[in-house]
Amino acid sequence: MKVADIFGGAFGILIGAFAIWEGTKMPVDVVMKIGPSFFPNILGGLLIVFSAILIINALRGRSKGKVEPYRLSDKGTQRGLITLAAGIVFCIVLDPLGFIPTSIVFLTFMMWVMGKRSPLLIVVTPALITLAVWLVFEKVLSLSMPAGVLADYL
Amino acid sequence: MEFNWSLMLASYGTVFTPGVLFIICVGITAGIIIGSLPGLTATMGVALLVPLTFGRPPLESLSMLIGIYCGAMYGGSISAILIRTPGTPAAAATVLEGYPMARRGEAGRAMAMALFASFFGGVCGALIMTFASPLVSSFALEFGPVEYFALAIFGLSVIVSISGRSLIKGMMSAFFGLLISSIGFDPISGFPRFTFGMMEMMEGPPFIPTLIGLFAVSEVFNEVQKTGQIQQLKANLNQYLPSWADIKYCFKHLCRSSVIGTFIGAIPGAGGDIAAFISYGQAKRTSKHPERFGHGEIEGLASSESANNACSGGAMIPLLSLGVPGDAVTAVLLGAFIIQGLQPGPMLYKEHIDIVYQIFASMMLAQFVMLFIGMAGIRLFAKVILVDRAILTPAIFVLSMVGAFAMRSNVFDVYTTLAFGILGYVMMRYDYPLSPILLALILGPMAEANLRRAMVISAGDPSILFSRPIAVVLMGLAVVSLALSIKGQKKIEARLSEMEKEFEVAVKE
Repeated sequence: MKVADIFGGAFGILIGAFAIWEGTKMPVDVVMKIGPSFFPNILGGLLIVFSAILIINALRGRSKGKVEPYRLSDKGTQRGLITLAAGIVFCIVLDPLGFIPTSIVFLTFMMWVMGKRSPLLIVVTPALITLAVWLVFEKVLSLSMPAGVLADYL
Repeated sequence: MEFNWSLMLASYGTVFTPGVLFIICVGITAGIIIGSLPGLTATMGVALLVPLTFGRPPLESLSMLIGIYCGAMYGGSISAILIRTPGTPAAAATVLEGYPMARRGEAGRAMAMALFASFFGGVCGALIMTFASPLVSSFALEFGPVEYFALAIFGLSVIVSISGRSLIKGMMSAFFGLLISSIGFDPISGFPRFTFGMMEMMEGPPFIPTLIGLFAVSEVFNEVQKTGQIQQLKANLNQYLPSWADIKYCFKHLCRSSVIGTFIGAIPGAGGDIAAFISYGQAKRTSKHPERFGHGEIEGLASSESANNACSGGAMIPLLSLGVPGDAVTAVLLGAFIIQGLQPGPMLYKEHIDIVYQIFASMMLAQFVMLFIGMAGIRLFAKVILVDRAILTPAIFVLSMVGAFAMRSNVFDVYTTLAFGILGYVMMRYDYPLSPILLALILGPMAEANLRRAMVISAGDPSILFSRPIAVVLMGLAVVSLALSIKGQKKIEARLSEMEKEFEVAVKE
């Protein structure tokens, strides 16, 4: 946890510093003395203070708890990264491709990643789940989903 | 504000119609299922299903969400008893007693008591909520910007002080959340902050997508890394209600824990997990057989389950009467209220008193519905736990994205959800608590807007903050709760690790 805490603290300091730096560009209020930058300045400052304490504690060997380091050879880590990539692709193609194809492909792929191999299962289940979600949102609740390539048919 | 009995009766009439009852049943069933699945918490359940209520009238959609909330609190005990994994964090204390009971072959007795205790706690919570929230709200009508600022500060101090293992990380989460909440138009002058020139960021991070990301998508990333089949105890679920002797034996603890649970729920920031552990500890201290605790003592099970369900009623009190959420789930509910065009707080009692009383009524009815559905579906819910994660986890991801998209039909919200999902996962992994962010998103703007309003009134003189007695008391309480938590942090850590050890021992056995 020591290294993780130092990184976490450094990240906190960066965010805090960014907030304060952005704050310098905001207009000053003459009447109230405190303008739009007042709150972010305080928050950024306090975030920096606590991040610094976290780093100091870590350096003094006072980090709490344990965390398993990531190993690329680990199957779980691999699945996590694949999911992340699949999630990003899902977001990118959702609008142009449309909800129904994106969702079916994503679900099939993810079920395969998570160890399902039965062809019937990984073909039929995603279609059923997608259809159910689509029916509920589009037909029952009349909330529109991206139609994408199927725009002319739906 | 006087309690309006005739309106109360009329509201029961409005809620007691097939349509609303059906919606409550759907909510309770969904809640029990979500709660019983480890990894799916009440917060996540409500966040995930809020989008389903966008188009419905306020009473229906809020009843459904309340149903999910109450159902999930009970549902957590099912997996706690049968697979020694708390379905929700609030059921962690239930594992300590429930699982040993199930191993002794008393799963039926444990499940029956869990259901009855949940029902009992829920009814107490709903009762106290019905009578306490109008009082609190009439008190709160006097509140000005200074009091609201102090209230927000108090809420934040509580969240931070109970945020678990590391106080520093809790503080960091809270300040980070507050910074996120300052994105968008500044509440007084309208200056856009931290928007990076993006139109979508002008109103701040979209609330529902943010919390779906933090609480649902993060769990997807967590879940895909795990493997292994869930082993369930072969249980003979032959009992629907606890025996009269069991009820009599636990009655004292049921009453006390329900009251403790409601009050802890009513403190802004403290939720069901804390309520359950505190009442469990209290039951252990006051029991005639403290040595039996940890080995399947039904008293412990009854007190933790009644406390976590009572907590939901308690958490609704500050939500309805002050507009300040009592825990993470009610923070999500606050979002649902706002989507429906209702702003919780004392003005809700002036403008929409009808809906307030209907919420009281539906909260009460939800407890009875929970009792019946819980009894009828006890065998079914025990099977739900075994649902295949390889199908469920990807489906949750899709549902999260769809829900985020549905509110504004905007792809930006989908990206926001994913980004907060990644953030939430990383934070959980390194022990940064997530609830402070969620509550900061609501309390942050409240604190800032009211502080600056106060400053407009006093023309920039900060002494106005100490000119109102209630505000001074609240700020004093905030300082006390922080000081206590800094001082007691070592104790809390020791207790936490002790409980974790107890928990691990219980799991290993």
